[in-house]
Amino acid sequence: MVNLTINGVPVSVEKGTTVLEAARYLGFPIPTLCHKEGLSPYGACRLCVVEIGEAPRTRLVSSCTYPVEEGLFVRTASERVVKARRIIIELLLASCPQSKTIQDIASAHSVRRQRFRQEHEDCILCGLCVRMCKEQMMAGAIGFRGRGRSRSLGTPFDVKSDVCRLCGGCMEVCPACQARCTYNEPEKAICGACANLSPPCIEKEPFHDMMCYMTPCVACEIKK
Amino acid sequence: MKKLTSIDEFTAMHTQLVADARGDIPTIVISAGTCGRASGANALIRAAEKELLQKNLTDRIRLRITGCHGFCAMEPSVLVEPGRTFYPRISPDDMVTIIDATARGTIAAELLYVDPETGKTIEQQDELPFFKKQLRTIMGRNEKVDPIRIHDYIGNGGYLPLAKALSRRDPKFVLEEIIASGLRGRGGAGFPTGQKWTLFAAQRNSGAKYIICNADEGDPGAYMDRSVLEGNPHSILEGMLIGAYATGASEGIIYIRTEYPLAIQHLNTALSQARELGVLGENILGTGFSFDIGIVKGAGAFVCGEETALIASIEGRMGEPRQRPPFPIAKGLNGKPTMINNVETWANIPIIIDAGARAFAAIGTEKSSGTKIFSLVGKIRNTGLVEIPMGMTINEVVRNIGGGSARKGKIKAIQTGGPSGGCIPSSLFDLPIDYDSLAKVGSIMGSGGMIVMDDSTCMVDVAKYFMNFLQDESCGKCFTCRKGTQRLHEILEDITCGKGLPEHLTLLEELAQTVKDTTMCGLGQTAANPVLSTLKYFREEYERHIDDKRCDAFVCKQLTGAPCQAACPVDTEAWRYVAMIEKGDYEEAYRVIRSANPFPAVSARVCDRKCESRCSLGTSGGEAVAIRALKRFVTDRVKPSTYKPVLAKKKRQRVAVVGAGPAGITAAHCLSLRGYGVTVFEAEDRPGGMLTCSLPAYRLPRDVVEKEIKTLLNRRIKMEFGRVLGKDMTVQDLLAGRYDAVFLAFGAHESMRLDLRHEDVRGVFPSIEFLKAFNMRGEELARGHVGVIGGGNSAVDAARVALRQKDVTSVSLFYRRTREEMPAYEEEIDAALEEGVRIETLISPVKIRVRQEEIEAAVREGVELETLVSPVKIHSRKGRLVDIECIRNRLGDVDATGRRKPLPIPGSEFRVRLDTLIVAVGEKPKSEFLASMGLDIDKSGRIRVNAKTLETSLRGVFAGGDLVTGPNTVIDAVAAGKKAAESIDRYLQKKPLAKPATPKLPSVYVEPAQAGESEDKAGARAATPSLAPAERMKNYREVEMALPETAARTESRRCLRCDLAFTEKKSADGSVRSVGEGARHG
Repeated sequence: MVNLTINGVPVSVEKGTTVLEAARYLGFPIPTLCHKEGLSPYGACRLCVVEIGEAPRTRLVSSCTYPVEEGLFVRTASERVVKARRIIIELLLASCPQSKTIQDIASAHSVRRQRFRQEHEDCILCGLCVRMCKEQMMAGAIGFRGRGRSRSLGTPFDVKSDVCRLCGGCMEVCPACQARCTYNEPEKAICGACANLSPPCIEKEPFHDMMCYMTPCVACEIKK
Repeated sequence: MKKLTSIDEFTAMHTQLVADARGDIPTIVISAGTCGRASGANALIRAAEKELLQKNLTDRIRLRITGCHGFCAMEPSVLVEPGRTFYPRISPDDMVTIIDATARGTIAAELLYVDPETGKTIEQQDELPFFKKQLRTIMGRNEKVDPIRIHDYIGNGGYLPLAKALSRRDPKFVLEEIIASGLRGRGGAGFPTGQKWTLFAAQRNSGAKYIICNADEGDPGAYMDRSVLEGNPHSILEGMLIGAYATGASEGIIYIRTEYPLAIQHLNTALSQARELGVLGENILGTGFSFDIGIVKGAGAFVCGEETALIASIEGRMGEPRQRPPFPIAKGLNGKPTMINNVETWANIPIIIDAGARAFAAIGTEKSSGTKIFSLVGKIRNTGLVEIPMGMTINEVVRNIGGGSARKGKIKAIQTGGPSGGCIPSSLFDLPIDYDSLAKVGSIMGSGGMIVMDDSTCMVDVAKYFMNFLQDESCGKCFTCRKGTQRLHEILEDITCGKGLPEHLTLLEELAQTVKDTTMCGLGQTAANPVLSTLKYFREEYERHIDDKRCDAFVCKQLTGAPCQAACPVDTEAWRYVAMIEKGDYEEAYRVIRSANPFPAVSARVCDRKCESRCSLGTSGGEAVAIRALKRFVTDRVKPSTYKPVLAKKKRQRVAVVGAGPAGITAAHCLSLRGYGVTVFEAEDRPGGMLTCSLPAYRLPRDVVEKEIKTLLNRRIKMEFGRVLGKDMTVQDLLAGRYDAVFLAFGAHESMRLDLRHEDVRGVFPSIEFLKAFNMRGEELARGHVGVIGGGNSAVDAARVALRQKDVTSVSLFYRRTREEMPAYEEEIDAALEEGVRIETLISPVKIRVRQEEIEAAVREGVELETLVSPVKIHSRKGRLVDIECIRNRLGDVDATGRRKPLPIPGSEFRVRLDTLIVAVGEKPKSEFLASMGLDIDKSGRIRVNAKTLETSLRGVFAGGDLVTGPNTVIDAVAAGKKAAESIDRYLQKKPLAKPATPKLPSVYVEPAQAGESEDKAGARAATPSLAPAERMKNYREVEMALPETAARTESRRCLRCDLAFTEKKSADGSVRSVGEGARHG
């Protein structure tokens, strides 16, 4: 067991636990976007930053990827954390204002404006879909390519992947705007289930090896 | 190559190589790293080989092709051993000369390096200022070793440290040495190497253990690792071998970027040679120690320099960092313990083992030992790779090794540490270069990039450049790093395009801090440094971009427009009248000039031509368009009545202007046009201020001034001469009386003093008094031998006026710095020298002596110039000047004004017999009395005003011109007059005083000239005709003359028409559309 202190509360957790898990175990709320139970921690959205260490030598780390250490001091809502978190929320709002998940987080942190040039992107590259596809669906149909400004998400060479089973898991986990689906451009689609008017679940009934997360599912709607 | 099977065999081989070395045979060493080859080293090698073969000299002269020697500015360079003669910038033909000279045992003197500071040639490489202060323990080996010959390396002591370490049979010994040496990682963060090695050595029972050489050097402008990899690859292999031996590593990897093909080639050669010889691979030198090294080529992602991303890249995954812990030391490549060190760190290892930890620790500072290589680049004269002991100050590197600014610019900052580093302003140049000092001021040592920036560098643009680099090079995993750098870049882009808002600065700070705080790896955590450090030290540049929409470095295109226009204090569209001259429409050209500047004819003669100094033709390597000469051409042939000013309806308010100089007259004129009644109070009996009382008639004929002023006066302007503020009236009188606002512009008419004894005796005159006496009253005060002290325009004016006076026999000008630093206009100094003024530089007066009887008429005719001289004493006898005692100076370090400070040389005092001494060491306003009227005055007697509105501390009172700035140019005074008129108008109309700033961009589209009609092939700048020196002796005829028409037309065609990037041909509806977007790319 590893002993640490979170917001002044001592806690003892198993080795290998992340700070996020330990903090949530104690009931301290930490907002997350790219974290989902059952998927490996990734640390991309940085919303879950917490302050570790003792003054004056403290630093911010993403709690979802930081393993607990013996004697660690953690503060989940220090001034520095809150300040950084608010800027991150502003950045998120500036990129994806239409996402309900992001709006909810902004509202919970009373961030009511953002000061950057407004964009309307449909992806914050949190990587949930990539991990979902790879770790839960065992498909690995999508991944990241490029770096920096030109980093993006997609199938290899933007061709519909052979290993994609149109499960819709990627869309189900997407926090940005559930717009991973590109509707009527099935060739470019990561999933394309909604635009596919003859999805496997209709064609091969009963389709038992198909897992579908879509609610509502276009295909199911048609079937009715 | 026979494989060596024991340490004894190896030492025997070394001994043999040393014995065979024959150091006395002349060797021509050619610096042929990538940069050397790029500048022509390959041709040198061919030329040398051919010449040696043809002349059958191969036995007598050796040739060695090596890596980079470091002095990039002088590439391709050649070093001749054993005399270590250095030949810079050699052509293949020069190579023949050098070989001939070397064969004869002499030196090709004409090809030697010339010190630009002293003008003397320097023979020995180690005597060059660039090399002299360096300590080249690593770089110095490059010139001794041919990188593709392992025997060269061994002959110079290579692999001996390895043999030493192996023969001890005690890895702990190596570890202890590295710890004791105090070596810190040269990759940038400065983690103690010994500590890292100890941690790594303690990793046991893991199976494989890797060590990696991080050769993914990617900072813009930094290439020290490349030079070591190319020039001395074996030193890195040896470092890694020793490291592996000490820590028990099983395999080594060199991660190098594909962009370094020569380095990869040399490394591969070195690896195979080392294996063949038995110093690498299985059972090294028969000791049972086995270790091999492989090469992995990176695709050139900057982030792969970060250790976890580097490991991911080697494993074949995307180059993305991951959360540490676990650290690579425990869990790295393939999940096994991995230790990563930088190229330079590895190169230091054999040096430490060879010389011993204590010797190494003795170099540098206590906490940062050893040397560090920097790549010194940017706006500096001696660019190159510089290896210095840690703790040397930035100043020493920039001034002594770097040789100061490349052009005449003032160095304002250095940037260290690449995109992760920060900018250090010149005020902190006394800082010692070591890990902790650099971190303290917000920068980092980094891998060793050192970019020098001068006043032609825009710090906002620098921050923008690095953000642009980082938004591409961030791996993109952390949201705050990817989006943060993009947003930082976006805001900076807005600021440099004139769309910046004051609140952007807070946003930049907050966002930069968040990026720094919340990102995962080193790249993100340091990504904001360029923004944070420039904001910290150069905030006023940001504010200038945001508040005034100006970029003083003329870098940001959207704020600069046409540089000639942006440079002009009164916003004259210089490009436009130049274009009109090209079209032959001289009247329109006049109107363009006159609409911005009420004093066209005066400016055409005495303007300091800020436009020309910024002309794109000049700044891009050519000669600037002769804009002032073109203005003179126009004003000489067009009648002032061509321009008809528009008079607004009369308003009831009245304004009092004090001083009828260029500032006062301009303000009065502009206010009268806006409808106000103006009264101008002038202390003298005629208008003109400095234009008439100080500027000599041979530069500015009196009738030109009179005529020009006449055109500016009208019935709304009343002139009152002989009225002195403080004597005849106060500011309060004026405001209480008929006036609603007051503009003070009575200039700076009090000469500064030397503060020497006898300064008030007969024969010693302040320059203003001397010039006024002649210009206003026709009195000639100078006689016999005349000395002038000072280096500004008024000193040169006084010297040239004195030379024209009838009782004068010679004129000498004494200046405490050198001619380069003289503030006077270059062409005025030239003209003075032509006329016979003697200029003595680096001299200061120390004493003035005075005597009664006349000095006999001097033999020599003419004026002389002495610089680097300071007066120390004035000697007098019975109330009249005898001589002055001066002291010679030398130039020391740069002072606050950006010029090198003159330091007196003790014992160098000398006396100069003089009949007249004119003191021209500056002027200040006579303004003590203004304090009693409630105005805010500074130490030098200048009125403090709001720089944007010219408002003083008293409501309704404005001030401008020399009274505010101290002695300044005519055009700046005119600009102040215009600004005052604007502010006073806004004040009287009860509007906010400050006018919102907009960038000064070209307003009108003017068709460019068709090419090919009468193109001046040479493209040389038109020379302004002037009177021959003989013709201007002892008279006051105007020296400079106007250009003839053909010359003017040809000259106008040289204009590059920078304005065209901002305007577009009139569309059908006749409107002019600004094409700002296009200009950004253009």
